[in-house]
Amino acid sequence: MSTPLIIIIVLAIILILMYNSLVAKKNQVENIFASVDTQLKKRYDLIPNLVASVSKYMEHEKSILEDITKLRSEANKPNISDKEKINLDAKISKALGSIMIAVENYPDLKANENVMHLQRSLNEVESQIAAARRAYNQAVTDYNNALEMIPTNIMANAMGYRPKDVFVISENERQNVNVSELFAK
Amino acid sequence: MKTISELTDFYYNTLYPVLQKLEEERKNIKKRIISVAILYTLIIFGVFFAILGHFNFEAFIYVGIFYVATLASIYRYLISDYTSDFKAKIIAPLIYEIDKNLNYLPKLHIPTTEFNHSQLFINRPDRVSGNDYVRGKIDDIEIAFSDFHAEKKYKDSKGRESWETIFQGLFIISDFHKEFHGRTIILPDTAQSLFGNLIGSWLQANNFSRNELIKMDNVAFEKEFVVYGTDQIEARYILTHTLMQKLLNYKKKTKHPIYVSFIGGKIYMAIEYNDDMFEPSIFHSLLEYKIAMKYVATLHLAIGIVEELKLNQKLWSKV
Repeated sequence: MSTPLIIIIVLAIILILMYNSLVAKKNQVENIFASVDTQLKKRYDLIPNLVASVSKYMEHEKSILEDITKLRSEANKPNISDKEKINLDAKISKALGSIMIAVENYPDLKANENVMHLQRSLNEVESQIAAARRAYNQAVTDYNNALEMIPTNIMANAMGYRPKDVFVISENERQNVNVSELFAK
Repeated sequence: MKTISELTDFYYNTLYPVLQKLEEERKNIKKRIISVAILYTLIIFGVFFAILGHFNFEAFIYVGIFYVATLASIYRYLISDYTSDFKAKIIAPLIYEIDKNLNYLPKLHIPTTEFNHSQLFINRPDRVSGNDYVRGKIDDIEIAFSDFHAEKKYKDSKGRESWETIFQGLFIISDFHKEFHGRTIILPDTAQSLFGNLIGSWLQANNFSRNELIKMDNVAFEKEFVVYGTDQIEARYILTHTLMQKLLNYKKKTKHPIYVSFIGGKIYMAIEYNDDMFEPSIFHSLLEYKIAMKYVATLHLAIGIVEELKLNQKLWSKV
């Protein structure tokens, strides 16, 4: 075999490997985002139940409850982009957080079996979401790295890949939710 | 749970009369061992010089091996009573002092099936040994641990057997408080510390004997450990930032390599001491602080895993 032919074959193999690794990284991101999405949906499903059980007591927090119901219906719309989903998730997390803090002000509510159960389910879903988000961020970081690093960046450019956004993980989410402390109050 | 200093107090105060008696026994045994060893060595040397010149070089190697092996079994025979005395009178009370609900079985060890089930070590052992099996419930959390020594048999081209240690140290099993379905395995990060970040992480990503590599978002944790698992999300569900920090602290406390896996609702932990723990000291005094601390701290560490990793917080779906 002649030398130029060997060089061409080696080059072709390198290109194929680069192409495949980029596709794998992109699919990994999409794959994990799908799991994030499932977890987010699980949380959205808990919202109506939560709103229904706390609205009787919460007179002053009506606006938060309305907000969160609105956010939920927005999140449930079909055809929203991943970026919008990420934004909506941040808003809903914030709203849910303030509802949970408000619950502390109502002793009846805090002792309510249903609310306690909801709180536990929410915490469970939250920790699932936190895990899914971290997995997503890692997949996106791997993908974005490949997009910016030599030599895969040239290939990625030719394939028209664009960098993706990561979830912003707030500082208090980095700590585990401690339910026993919540209940101990 | 009792603190290390409380346990040390217990060791030196409550156990003091027993310790003194054992200390006498230890001194006698030490003397006996030394005299027997000297006598035996002299006999072997006598025989050795008598047959010198009649045999070739290889025979001497066999004599050497025979000498070491018999000396070891004589040693084991001489200390066997003292060892069981020590375990019944010192180690057992220490364990019950930590928690009354624990069972102590000095002659048994963790079942081999559990060791294999942990998937911490790829090689299946051909021979296992161990002792000091402790099991029971702490805060309703099932826990078991023991000394464990797993070895694999190798044969070279000449058919000679040799045994290589897969793992020796403390093996701990406990219930885990979160529900999961896959496998998550945490190993000491040898590749990255040996070959540096770039080559090391490439090697880790291409470890065919393990599942997918899972990169964790805690720099200190990533530096110490490498994580493999069947599910990227589940691994992070188990390994929260809090738990990663706790495992790092635990690693710092043990000062030995640790292997951790999460399989079938349980946490498996192997601490590689390369030594048999909870054995009585022969050549050092039992009253020495360093010796006492070895027993107390190791027990505290093994039983403390429940509290240390907050395994008793059953908050989530698993009720």
